[in-house]
Formats: sequence, C-alpha cells, structure tokens
Amino acid sequence: MLEATNELGNVALQAGGTLTDANAAAALAVGLAALGAGYAERGIGSAAVGAMAEDDDLFVNGLILTVLPETIVILALVVVFIV
Amino acid sequence: MSAVGSSNPEYVVARVRARRGSLYGDEEYRKLTRMGPAEIARFMEESSYGAEINALGSRHGGVDLIEYALNRNLAEQFDDILDWSEGALYDLIARYLRKFDAWNVKTVIRGVYTDADQSAIEVDLIRAGEFDDRRMRRLLEADSIDAVVEVLEDTIYGDPLREAYAEYEETDTLVPLENAVDRAFYERLLSGLGGGEPTRQYEAFLKAEVDFRNATNALRLARSGADIDPAAYFIEGGELFTRGSLARLARNLDDLVEYIADSQYGEELGPALRELEEADSLIAFEHATDAALLAYGDRLGTIHPVSVTPVISYILAKEREVENIRAIARGKEAGLSADEIESELVIT
Repeated sequence: MLEATNELGNVALQAGGTLTDANAAAALAVGLAALGAGYAERGIGSAAVGAMAEDDDLFVNGLILTVLPETIVILALVVVFIV
Repeated sequence: MSAVGSSNPEYVVARVRARRGSLYGDEEYRKLTRMGPAEIARFMEESSYGAEINALGSRHGGVDLIEYALNRNLAEQFDDILDWSEGALYDLIARYLRKFDAWNVKTVIRGVYTDADQSAIEVDLIRAGEFDDRRMRRLLEADSIDAVVEVLEDTIYGDPLREAYAEYEETDTLVPLENAVDRAFYERLLSGLGGGEPTRQYEAFLKAEVDFRNATNALRLARSGADIDPAAYFIEGGELFTRGSLARLARNLDDLVEYIADSQYGEELGPALRELEEADSLIAFEHATDAALLAYGDRLGTIHPVSVTPVISYILAKEREVENIRAIARGKEAGLSADEIESELVIT
C-alpha cells in the first residue's frame, strides 16, 4: 500500500502536476476554507431561520451562530500573510 | 410541499424542536385532571390551542369544543410540517401522516353507510394527510359508497377499494372496505424506504408499530374466540409475526402471550402481559404498547439530531398529547375521578 502511494507520488512529480507556486496554494487554502464555511452556514442558517419563525427572540442567537463558521475563513486568511 | 429537490431537515427540525418545547408536561396534566371541561377549554385557550378554541368556540361547547379544537390543531400542525419539508424528508414524513388520510376515508365511508349528515362527518375529519381540500370536499359530497370509491380512483386507495367494493356489495358489511384502506396504507408505509442510518431507525419504529398492531388484533381475536380468520387482519411488514404464525397463535391466548413475552419486545411488554394473564385486561396491554412506542419515539432523534427522526418524535409526542387531553376531557364528562383519569394517560 505504502509503496503504491510512493509510486503514485513519483508519477505525479514527473508529470509536473504539483502545486509549486506558494501564492496559488495560499489562495486555494482560503478558497477551500470559504467553501467549507459556506456549506456549514447553509445548515445553520436554515435552522436559525426555522427557530426564528417560531420565536422572534432567537434572532440574535441565530445570527451569531450563523456567522460562527466565518471564523474558519479568517483563520485561513492568516496563511496568506505567512507565505 | 413537494417531494422534489433536496431535503431540508435543518429547517424543519429547528421549528419542530421549538414546538416540542410548548407541549404539555407532567405539571400541566396534573392541573388538567383537576379541571372541568369548561376550565380545560379555557386552559387550552391560553396555550398553543388558542386560535382553534376561539374559532370553534361560538359553534361548539363543552367536551365537543375540546375534541374539535384538538383535531383541528393536530391537523394544522402536521400540515405545517408537510408544508415545510422538501425532497426525501417530505416522503418520509408523508408516509406516516397518510394514516390520517386512511382515517378520513374510513370516517367518510362509515358516515355514508350510516346516513350521517355532511356536517357531522366533517367535524370528525382530521385534515392532516396528503388529500387536499378539493378532494376532501368531493369526498364529503359523495352520497354513496360507490361515489366515495370513485373520488379515490386516482389515489393509492383506488384499486384496493374497487376490489373490496364487490365484496361489500355481497355482504353489506364495511369490514372489507376498511381492511382495504388499512392494507393500502400499511403497504405504502414500509415499501421502498431509502438508505441511511436515520432511516433505519425510523423503519425499526414503523415495524414495531405494525408488530404491536398485529399483536393487539391477535389478542382481541384470541380473547373473543370469534370465528374470524386472523390472517384476514394480518398486516404485512412487521418482524414479529408471519401470516401463518399469526393465524396459528390467534387460536390460543396462552400460546400468544408466551410468544410475545419471548420476543424482542418481551422486556417492554412483560409487566403488561402478566397483568393480561391475571386480570384479563386488554386495556393494560394497549397502554403498554403505546408507552413502549412513545418511549421509543423519545429516544428517536437523539442519535441523529439532523434527520427525519426528531420530526417523527415530535409527531408522536403531539399525537399522544392530543389523545391524553381527549381522555381527560372525556373522563371528566363521564364523571371519573382524577386518579382514574391519570391511570388512563400515557406519559413518559
């Protein structure tokens, strides 16, 4: 299994398919983090709207919980400043 | 309100959980058992049943008002749930709620059979299923059983009812028609359930319900000693009985009780079965099956919080609440004491 993985890595290197540009890698990292945050907010957002429909007082709590995954993107932005 | 698109359990579960919080607890039930019908109605008016009590208060009174308000509230809440849900989630919830369609069809058939007038039938309907208002109106306007069957032609009840109608014409009893409706409902209930762990849990619950229904029917038949073929009442889909084993066991009460006590439900139903043997009381057994289903329903949705299971759990809890309040109101009307009523309630 391990050897097979090694071989696969070699083939990938020979083909020149690896990501060598640091800026591009950082951009990719932020983009993927944002994608994950978006997916998480989809679920939380619809649950928050459902809870708000039942009880208006939950607006503030719902808003805070909905934007919490946004922190992932902010953390991912750190990568941009490091490279 | 459609079965297309992706399912949205997050939204539905959030709303349902909020509503679950406003269901009556032990404390409220204790208060209710000490009230008269008028006080119960007033108590309900101040809780989540306010709109229904106000809407019906001018036309009905006393226990009838409570009963109709309960039915209407139940129907509205379950209709809401169907409205919110989409995709696979809608399909899973609608499966269970179709039982109200079956109930409505049976009510209309009985009403037509006994020549009840339209408004009397209408108040007994629970509009929680999939039938829309137009079909309901056409059902109510039907003046013969033939016409009822015709209205239902394009639904899942169409073909089974058409077949049963011939038998009805021969025997002039409603049993074949009612069996056909029940069977059509239960056939759809468990067929083609999709994959996924939450769905498996839901399926286990549905199977337990079918098993309990079969067990109760068999116990009734065994006790009455009537010369009826038990296989005719058998509902497919459960795990406890097969058509053959049910027919054999329903002849002998002792064998049947022993069989249930040895099954996977023995632990939950054991005490009730002993009581059944000693006191010959079926009511205790029916309560035990209800309590076992409710306990299972409460556990549903704790393992997979974002799936269909919490929604089903709420539906069960709501149904139970409506039945409990109805039992309290009817018990009060019949002059039972608070203790006697409390023993009739199913509370976890």
